[in-house]
Amino acid sequence: MGYLTAILILGGINIIATLGVAILTGYTGLFTIGHAGFMALGGYMSAILVKELHVPFPIALLIGGTFAGLCSFIIGYPAFRSRLRGDYFAIATLGFSEAIRLILNNTKTLGPINLGGAFGYMNIPSHTNVWVVLFTLFLALLFAHMFVTSHYGKNCIAVAQDEVAAQMMGVNLLKTKLIALFISAFYAGVAGGLLGFYFAYLSPSFFTITKSSDLLAAVVFGGIQSLIGPFVTAFVLVAVPEVLRALAEWRLIIYGFLFVIVMIFRPQGLLGYVEMNLNFARLLWQKWFGRKLAEG
Amino acid sequence: MELFLQQLVSGVSIGAIYSLLAVGYALVYSVYNFTNWAFDAFMAFGAFAAFTAILWLFLPFWLAMLISIVLTIVLSVGVEKLAYSTLRRRKAPRLFMMISAMGVNLAIVNIINKIFGGTFRKFPIESVQPVFLGGVSIGRMDLIAGVISFGVLALLWLFLYRTKWGLGIRASAIDILTASLMGINNDAVAVIIFTITGVLSSVAGVFYGIKYAVYPMMGIVTIKAMIASIVGGLGSLPAAILGSMLLGVLETLVSGYISSSYRDLFSFLFLIVILLFFPNGLMGKSGEEKL
Amino acid sequence: MNTNPRNDELLTIIDLTVDFGGVRAVNNVSLSLRPGELVGLIGPNGAGKTTVFNLITNAIRPTAGQILLDGKSILGKSPDQICRLGISRTFQNIRLFPQMTAYENVELGLHSSPRYSLAEAFVRLPHASRVEKETHKRALELLEIVNLREYARERASSLPYGLQRRLEIARAMATSPKLLLLDEPAAGMNEDECKALVRLIREIHTTMHYTTLMIEHHMAVVMDLCERIYVLNLGSLLAVGSPKEIQNNPQVIKAYLGERKNARTVTPS
Repeated sequence: MGYLTAILILGGINIIATLGVAILTGYTGLFTIGHAGFMALGGYMSAILVKELHVPFPIALLIGGTFAGLCSFIIGYPAFRSRLRGDYFAIATLGFSEAIRLILNNTKTLGPINLGGAFGYMNIPSHTNVWVVLFTLFLALLFAHMFVTSHYGKNCIAVAQDEVAAQMMGVNLLKTKLIALFISAFYAGVAGGLLGFYFAYLSPSFFTITKSSDLLAAVVFGGIQSLIGPFVTAFVLVAVPEVLRALAEWRLIIYGFLFVIVMIFRPQGLLGYVEMNLNFARLLWQKWFGRKLAEG
Repeated sequence: MELFLQQLVSGVSIGAIYSLLAVGYALVYSVYNFTNWAFDAFMAFGAFAAFTAILWLFLPFWLAMLISIVLTIVLSVGVEKLAYSTLRRRKAPRLFMMISAMGVNLAIVNIINKIFGGTFRKFPIESVQPVFLGGVSIGRMDLIAGVISFGVLALLWLFLYRTKWGLGIRASAIDILTASLMGINNDAVAVIIFTITGVLSSVAGVFYGIKYAVYPMMGIVTIKAMIASIVGGLGSLPAAILGSMLLGVLETLVSGYISSSYRDLFSFLFLIVILLFFPNGLMGKSGEEKL
Repeated sequence: MNTNPRNDELLTIIDLTVDFGGVRAVNNVSLSLRPGELVGLIGPNGAGKTTVFNLITNAIRPTAGQILLDGKSILGKSPDQICRLGISRTFQNIRLFPQMTAYENVELGLHSSPRYSLAEAFVRLPHASRVEKETHKRALELLEIVNLREYARERASSLPYGLQRRLEIARAMATSPKLLLLDEPAAGMNEDECKALVRLIREIHTTMHYTTLMIEHHMAVVMDLCERIYVLNLGSLLAVGSPKEIQNNPQVIKAYLGERKNARTVTPS
């Protein structure tokens, strides 16, 4: 039972961070290999707030997420300014994430706080349990859905498909990209916080390029411009390696090949462009219910 | 003063290595408009290929280097054919090309990791005596790295500006569609560009491995090269070299005088500062898209 | 050629110039449009017509000159600001959002000015819901106007070329423009399609009264629709006048006879 709970918690946390990356990469078309950095920022900030300053847990999570979101502007603003062409953002996400990890690795103390550097930040209160994660996940999915179906979300999609045309049709590129970035960093920050309160411990080694690659993989496989696809994949990608321990060593190699294969044969991923909406659920219900009626 | 000069020389030699990588990056970017994340993997592959050739096949250094170059070319062109060419012909969005590139990178780096393990290895050449120039001792390998790197870049310059093929590449960098309409074979261009990439990354990999260490994740240093290329001004090869030398020297000075663990942090901050004040890089022109 | 902006002009361009490296793509071009006019911009290939559009929408920055909308300068404003100020365009090489449906393409144009805040997007209050409903209705209306209503759920990239061009026009209209810039709307069309397009544009112009500036190579289309025509050649303004005046202008005829690409040269009607 404990084993299943662990998968649910870790899977749920992964889904939350992945939803953020889905909004940025899946919907807005901005490649990121650096969201582990935002997880670290949110994680450490919430942990410090609760452990040192005794801020209530939910508020600490929100502040941690917001902190990660604000930090994202450090790379977002210079990279997204008008008339800039280039993969500045993608490269900056990698540099940023590594820089964060480096700083955390080399920072033993922050004033009176013992961050532990590479040894990690210890004795974080254990606030995360399955219900907390499920509740946060529900909120995360709800708000993500609200965002992508709003006209702000549609602006993101337009930017992904043709940002020049989007701009000519009135879309403010800088603002749209920064909003998507902020949300994605916020989600990652909250996920990072939940992670810290689960393990009761945070280490910079949790937040490597591998973690960022995991998040990206969930979006690539799950589907472009979809929430439900990455949702499913994010969970599966946590559950499966646990179940197939032996495969875990080959995980990244397999992901690598799958990235290429998916891009060539099915770039939209598993459930790309499939959006959760009542119609979809209704269709599914009708199909299933209709079949039941026909049988009965 | 002597320390300063030594740092300077060291900075120049790492700058030379960055130049190789930055030029490779800028070349692919200016023609194909995407970041070749697999460059990371090619560099590690090149280093490990030479490493293996020396350690297990007992080949002399120069032969090992040559083998490494050849093998990396094969890898690089192979990756182009298998992972990129289909997407390129389909005119897939940049995001998809980058995902494919990242996939190649993940696969290759982790295969190397699986085979060799993650330990930092010393590149198997005997320690060489430093060279004394004007009273300053300079690492002999630094000197060789610098000379070879600039030699390779010079050869590349000759190729790009003095040969017919080079002209085709430069035309493709401006507009690949127009170039193909002028009779330039896009597939041949791709092979040439990725051959060049293979050469640059293997040479850089070997010298980086000598200067620091050989390990699967060593390719992460290509991000410095990408930063250097952006700082100089994306899309321009001379700018890539300028950015690399600047970054290499400044970074080494920071490392020497401030702290070595913050060397990488410096490059990142440098990128942000430059982008804020020089949005098109130090030498760059703003790129306008054709409507 | 008018160089003093009169109060009743919607668009005033004065001595617009742009250099690309050593090439002067647009050379001291001045033109003006009064509200409600349907004006043509023609010239041989490479004359700089699309460049003028790009300058108006600030996709590229001019080297010199003035661009005034309703008497106020729009130089230096971002393209999305210019869209919100009332200028909308179609593109020479169609730039629809390929994976979006026809409906979604038009819907995007309707959002050119945000009508509810980001916070409201997250918590779908009645106000935001109402806005979304209105948008839905208007989008379908626009599709109806261009006769694409039945294709509402089709992906834009899967539509035939002629329909894509019409969709682009619908999307441009969605931004409620004062000035509509049409870049070769009839490109690649045969005679029948051209006739249908002329009918469509005329109908739109009559009902919506958009001030329209149209680049076009199909002379039949231009002569049929436009009240006034500007002619560009090699970046400079060659002539301006009514269709009849332009057709009989010897300089215009000479400029086009040097043009090998388009067989449909100016013919007296």
